Amino acid sequence: MAGFAAILRKDLRLELRAGESVLTLVALALLILVVMVFALNPAGGARDAGTAAGALWVALIFAGTMGATRSLAAERENGCLRALLLSPVDRATLFCAKLTAAFIFMAIAEAAAVFVLVLFFNLDFDARLLRLGPSLALGALGFAALVTLLAAIAGRLRAGDLLLPLLAVPMFVPALIAGVKGGELALAGSPLGAAAQWLKLLAAFDVLFLSAGYLLFEYAIGDD
Amino acid sequence: MTAPPIEARGLEQSFGFTPVLRDVNLRVEPGAGVLICGRNGAGKSTLLSLLAGLGTPTAGEALLFGSPSNRLAPALRRRLGLLSHQSFLYPNLTARENLTFFCALYRIHNPAPLVQSWIERVGLAAAAEERVRGFSRGMEQRLALARALLPTPDVLLMDEPFTALDPEGAALAAALVREALARGCAVLLTAHQVAQPGSLALAPYELVRGRLVRLDAALNLRDSAPSGSGGAEGSRRNSPTVV
Repeated sequence: MAGFAAILRKDLRLELRAGESVLTLVALALLILVVMVFALNPAGGARDAGTAAGALWVALIFAGTMGATRSLAAERENGCLRALLLSPVDRATLFCAKLTAAFIFMAIAEAAAVFVLVLFFNLDFDARLLRLGPSLALGALGFAALVTLLAAIAGRLRAGDLLLPLLAVPMFVPALIAGVKGGELALAGSPLGAAAQWLKLLAAFDVLFLSAGYLLFEYAIGDD
Repeated sequence: MTAPPIEARGLEQSFGFTPVLRDVNLRVEPGAGVLICGRNGAGKSTLLSLLAGLGTPTAGEALLFGSPSNRLAPALRRRLGLLSHQSFLYPNLTARENLTFFCALYRIHNPAPLVQSWIERVGLAAAAEERVRGFSRGMEQRLALARALLPTPDVLLMDEPFTALDPEGAALAAALVREALARGCAVLLTAHQVAQPGSLALAPYELVRGRLVRLDAALNLRDSAPSGSGGAEGSRRNSPTVV
């Protein structure tokens, strides 16, 4: 637990100091949302919940992928990842700390993206946005777990940065569909119970990705 | 019989079809020091990486405390200090924050006095609150020395520790190695040349075409600092051998 807290605290401190991951995530998410707004509804004034939820998730997936890549790339500078691997902290703890940091950064990007989504898609700041919370939180957790695991593999490969989205997005598609559907129902004003089946699916994928990451991270990260 | 802190048995490493290490056998007892020399590309860093567990040998075994080094239990990893050609320091953290972070990783309680003493010991008191990104290579090497020695390791692997250090820094590094030997730490150090700063009593070897060869004369340089006799004699008594 001490190792987990130390690594997480260090990641947050580095982020507060440099702001590289969060700023990149937020900027990329916003850019994608802007493009989507004009691409999907050039005339403006859209209130299509499905389109809005889809645009939000596309932005989050690409921003989240980039965030995870940067997180482990930063550890490779000066060989710091090797120092972590040589320390008495076990690999599963390292995975949990990196995943938690990635989740926090994604959550911040989500909050910014939702704010912009409301403006660009002419939505209202009302209770429907709160109903987006569960699907976004579950989706971000699962995606953070998946990309943290895959970034450990991709970081050891030549052109791994290019490979990561090619690996992560197809594997996340079922959860992505559930996230978009859950988000669509929330934005359409349906009660939370209506999205229960999608939230359960997201939770199931979270369990899958978290378990896989916890068990396989040691092999994925290897000896660097 | 307890296992030696550092041991290589028939260690071989190849990259593709290029052999880098061939049948390397080495045993370093507690309190003993070994110096491995060799040209650029001789395989010194590869040997150190394998012994540290950062890689899987093509054949043979790299053992620390009798366990395969790449599958060390966390409790045994705690007893290893590695000074690599990379500093393992976070550029955007200050010197103090870096050392405090490593104290937390190694579960050192109440780290502040220890961190302060190491910062002063390596001569970085004036730069303690500066980010490592702004450090010179020599300052970074000094801090890396503190990082490697902070958890008081029982095995110390050092890849060209005197690189980038000024004479004062090199003497400091030599003194730290002597102190480690004196308290029973097994030390393996690599360098381009046999001649090293300070008065270090290390058993010299050379990597020649991937094979480890014992050099004739024992290394005992006499150029500056007074001899750390306890460590030197201890290391001679427990002189490592190529099997």
